[in-house]
Amino acid sequence: MASAVNKRIYINGVGCLSPQLTLDNRLFLEEPVSTESNRLKAIDANYKEFVPPEMVRRMGRIIKMGVAAAKTCLADAGCQMPDAIITGTGLGCIEDTEKFLGNMIKNNEEFLTPTAFIQSTHNTVSAQIALLVQCHGYNFTYVHRGFSFESAILDSLLQIENGRASTVLLGTADELTANSLQIQKRLGFWRRNPIDNLKLFDHPDKGTIAGEGAVFFLLDEKKNSTTYTVLQDVEMLFMPHSADEIRSQINGFLNRNGISESDISLLLVGQNGDTRHQKVYDEVAEGSFPNVPACGFKHLCGEYMTASSFGVWLAAKIMKEQRIPEILQVSKKPSELKHILLYNHYQGINHSLILLSQP
Amino acid sequence: MEELIEKLKKEVIEQLNLEDISPEDIEADSPLFGEGLGLDSIDALELIVLLEKNYGLKIEDPKDGKKIFHSIRTMAEYITEHQTA
Repeated sequence: MASAVNKRIYINGVGCLSPQLTLDNRLFLEEPVSTESNRLKAIDANYKEFVPPEMVRRMGRIIKMGVAAAKTCLADAGCQMPDAIITGTGLGCIEDTEKFLGNMIKNNEEFLTPTAFIQSTHNTVSAQIALLVQCHGYNFTYVHRGFSFESAILDSLLQIENGRASTVLLGTADELTANSLQIQKRLGFWRRNPIDNLKLFDHPDKGTIAGEGAVFFLLDEKKNSTTYTVLQDVEMLFMPHSADEIRSQINGFLNRNGISESDISLLLVGQNGDTRHQKVYDEVAEGSFPNVPACGFKHLCGEYMTASSFGVWLAAKIMKEQRIPEILQVSKKPSELKHILLYNHYQGINHSLILLSQP
Repeated sequence: MEELIEKLKKEVIEQLNLEDISPEDIEADSPLFGEGLGLDSIDALELIVLLEKNYGLKIEDPKDGKKIFHSIRTMAEYITEHQTA
């Protein structure tokens, strides 16, 4: 089985709006934000710095988050105009969807205004970014629950591999609303009691902390002075039956990329403190990577369908700076960071592997 | 009439989410579209819904829209004229 791509595809810029102070690319989790809650809210930017006032008044919060992260990413990469914009979102613009549906119910399906409806579609974030930067190229949004980001990665890699684009603005956006938080709480997703997010892994229990955020990457077929890492490969596994099946997939994934378990410098895992989903992470880490330093990241961003994009942001920063922030609590620090593997799953259903390598 | 104008200013600000604009910033006679507040076609739809929802007024002839939505005062005049008719 061959890797998804033969070309080396570089991440040359990043923009991350999250519950941590991540939008300023000069910072790298020096002062982790601690919240005593079962919800991690993304830290809003001063959106007027990113969007003209006449446009910002119509934008829902997720759109503003996405635009801020995307424009930060483009500025970081020194790119005026990408060839394509490809995004992933789990629930899309849910705030405007709720507003539109709420108005339908409240007003007996009359007096429906256009703004909330227009903004409620899942591809609004990528469309607004395209309008702002006047990008008329390929524009696509993947809405595949826990595979949304991974599907967007695969498409981005293939667009560059096939010569259809040289640069791709790849990203994610997901927002939490009071309603969505409540509905998912009833489904047992979240902790019943508030917990300090920075101590999430010290107190495993049923449920986790809800999160949200917008993360963007500028992918480029050319390496330059701003390059962070190589986005080497991605693999998705839908409802694997056992840890053995996952380990077998990991072997095949590493083989097709010409490396073995011992070449992995750091394993980033999507564990979220939920005891119902921890076993598989432990079995994969201990079974396949017994000697590889491993750490989780969701105590920083919370759990949501595109949280793996925060993990890729983290991996890209680690690779560029060749250091692991203290807050990640790695048991032993690797001497050199050559390959970082991200293993994540959403609700035990959508499992994914993302490999990043030193440029 | 002046009371209605002040009420309309607040409703327009809320309906169109005009951030950083207060009722005092809106001149009753200033154009709403193009110059003045610089509203656009989506705002026009929002204003049509506002008239229908808050005042029970439907604009039967779309050609009338330009005249009715010229300014806050023309909107107030239309409401006064048609609600009492």
